Amino acid sequence: MTQTLMRTTITTPTDREIRIERIVNAPRDRVWRAYTEPALIAQWWGRGNKLVIERMEPVRGGHWRYVEHGPNGVYGFEGRYREVSAPTRFVRSFEWDGMPAHVAIETVTMEDLGDGRTQVVITMQMHTPEERDGFLQSGMQGGMDAAFAALDRLVEEE
Amino acid sequence: MVQYGDLDTAFGAVSDPTRRGILERLGHGDASISELAESFDMTLTGMKKHVGVLEDARLVTTNKVGRVRTCRLGPRRLENEAAWIERFQRMMDDRFNRLEALLERTKE
Repeated sequence: MTQTLMRTTITTPTDREIRIERIVNAPRDRVWRAYTEPALIAQWWGRGNKLVIERMEPVRGGHWRYVEHGPNGVYGFEGRYREVSAPTRFVRSFEWDGMPAHVAIETVTMEDLGDGRTQVVITMQMHTPEERDGFLQSGMQGGMDAAFAALDRLVEEE
Repeated sequence: MVQYGDLDTAFGAVSDPTRRGILERLGHGDASISELAESFDMTLTGMKKHVGVLEDARLVTTNKVGRVRTCRLGPRRLENEAAWIERFQRMMDDRFNRLEALLERTKE
């Protein structure tokens, strides 16, 4: 397998927080749309897995729910919008079906870098260190799904 | 190189909240099946099942002395925070790469 350099930075500023940073090579308005329009979200958020956008109401108080159909199972992610300030920032609650009622607060900010690129910063704020670790492990599950998918592609190519 | 099947067993084992709780409890010290059953308010049979799954994933070992079966962590340690972060990073990177690819191919 080819090891490519990762351009996404993950830090844990506190034991209840995960911070994700990435410079996306596209203008901010388009990144914002990719984050808020169901037809666009479905094409990338699931990392190649089928993603059904069951609800998407990016307004204060609105609900969202995505259901990811991975090779090892179907799991949903959902929450409500606390704040939506297009095209720079939204804040929403974030729950994963694997850890029901363990609610994280996800804040996504998009900074226009002025050269056609956008810096996206996501913070996930949890209530307890155990929840934080649980979310990191949910990433582990997702990471494995991606790994399986990659493996399948390799196998198909042979 | 880790074996996917092996990892899958471990993920299956830790996908259950009770089993994560058991691992956390054992992180503070060894415990017998009956002690675990009591702290998780479960039957002995139910707890034996959970411990069995953790044992198959090699996240827990048990040792029977007389009538008491003692459980402890290992031999395989659950991924530490650094390993979780690394995998989480890989997932997020994959997600952002796909976002970028989408924006690239839908460029006007």
